[in-house]
Amino acid sequence: MMTRPQTDFTAAEAAMTDTAEPILDLRTLSKTFGEVKALNGVDLKVQPGEFVTVVGPSGCGKSTLFNIVSGLEEPDSGSVLRFEGRSVMARDLLGKVSFMPQRDLLLAWRNVIDNAILPLEIEGANRAEARREAERMLPEFGLAGFAKQYPHELSGGMRQRVALMRTFMFKRDLMLLDEPFGALDALTRAMMQRWLLDVWSEHRRTVLFITHDVDEAIFLGDRVLVMTARPGAIKLERKVDLPRPRGADLVTSPEFIALKRDLLDAIEEESMKTFGPNAH
Amino acid sequence: MSTDPMAPSRHALARGIFGGVALFLVWELVARGFDLPSYILPAVSEIVARIWTARAALGNAAAYTLGESVAGYLLGGAIGVGLALCVTLVPPLRKVIVPAATAVNSVPVVAFSPLILLWFGMGMTSKIVMVAVAVSFTMFVSALAGFDRVDERSVNLMRSFGASRAAILWKLRLPTALPLVLSGMRLSTVRSLIVAIVTEMLGAYGGLGWVIYQAVVVIDFVQVWAAIFIASLASLAFFGLVSWMERRLVFWR
Repeated sequence: MMTRPQTDFTAAEAAMTDTAEPILDLRTLSKTFGEVKALNGVDLKVQPGEFVTVVGPSGCGKSTLFNIVSGLEEPDSGSVLRFEGRSVMARDLLGKVSFMPQRDLLLAWRNVIDNAILPLEIEGANRAEARREAERMLPEFGLAGFAKQYPHELSGGMRQRVALMRTFMFKRDLMLLDEPFGALDALTRAMMQRWLLDVWSEHRRTVLFITHDVDEAIFLGDRVLVMTARPGAIKLERKVDLPRPRGADLVTSPEFIALKRDLLDAIEEESMKTFGPNAH
Repeated sequence: MSTDPMAPSRHALARGIFGGVALFLVWELVARGFDLPSYILPAVSEIVARIWTARAALGNAAAYTLGESVAGYLLGGAIGVGLALCVTLVPPLRKVIVPAATAVNSVPVVAFSPLILLWFGMGMTSKIVMVAVAVSFTMFVSALAGFDRVDERSVNLMRSFGASRAAILWKLRLPTALPLVLSGMRLSTVRSLIVAIVTEMLGAYGGLGWVIYQAVVVIDFVQVWAAIFIASLASLAFFGLVSWMERRLVFWR
């Protein structure tokens, strides 16, 4: 069964996106673990510089999607995976995409700077140079003066910023962020979202961002994708035509609310498939 | 985070010294007050005086025993950590090595001593082998628990950065295992000295165990006690040194 994404693109926009070369192009991407089908024909194109957010009910295979795009797992045969215009195996993407998992996964024995330069060290970069570069980036990540602190001395929000800095220091065109703010309290999370947009507009990377928070998905994204319940596919795709830079008051604007209602309806429908009385 | 009751702290050290002094005072008063013969309990002052007069012989014996213990300790530590590393890197080996190691360890290590003495002779080698056997199992278990603590998500993160297996081992697996490896090393210090001394008592050319055995034969119990005091000092010093190293290396706990 193929689930075609419903889009609200105008014809002109569709024509435009077709001519530009997508950085990431997934077609009929599927993944099966033994008996369980986690992904079922995901079709997804991401343009360079775009900020795409993905929302879906829990267990919909969002993380599996990320594991494939970061190169950690191979999709089922028949899946098409294209990166920067070339057809690739998932494992070819190891070291090509900067991936940030849900947990910060900082190394307890490394201070802020040395955690941030870990990917550069693995690439074989000069350690002293990498450290100097990281030092320069600290203020932008709200970590000025914390270079020599160890993870156990930092708050959750700061640890997350170190993890994000590590992701940014691994200079790859495509960044995958898997619920980076999921473990933070609401206030810290809202601040981190605005801060992330600032950093993103500064660095202009392509971002694919997983969340289960619809507000977050709309607030951050150029485009929001809703995934179906397991087996995951793209159910709905909506463009977010809200001006940037985006401020905190945006979330109460009528456009935001209308978009949120549409997306919530779609997610609700999918969640009912998992939790509803007719779930099998 | 540290819940290990054996974990060192300054407080514990102060209490330990206080307890030791109190014990010695009571001991001295009991031995003098009841005028106990030295084969039952010599006075502490008598033992200390003997340590002074026999300092050259006791010092040599302590150096001999410590040499065996430290050599066996390092050898056993390397074997234990090495085996744990093999099991971690080649998972199918776990089903072979873990039961074999458990079988060897289920017998008190001293039970092997007649065989080890037969194979390696009365000299230092047999003591080093005995200590290595005793220490390697403890170290294997601690190091394995340490390597098992490595978070698969961290491994995946490093892979996504393009890290090789060697880089993951060096930058992630070994440092993650370090706290448990070092606490195993700390606990093994005392064990290594005990095993060295007991094996010396069964047959040796020198060492504190040999001194104790010789003194018992000539009914010189003050000498037995003097050797015991030196053994516990050596054991404390060894334990203290490794604890200090542990605190320096695992600073993030």
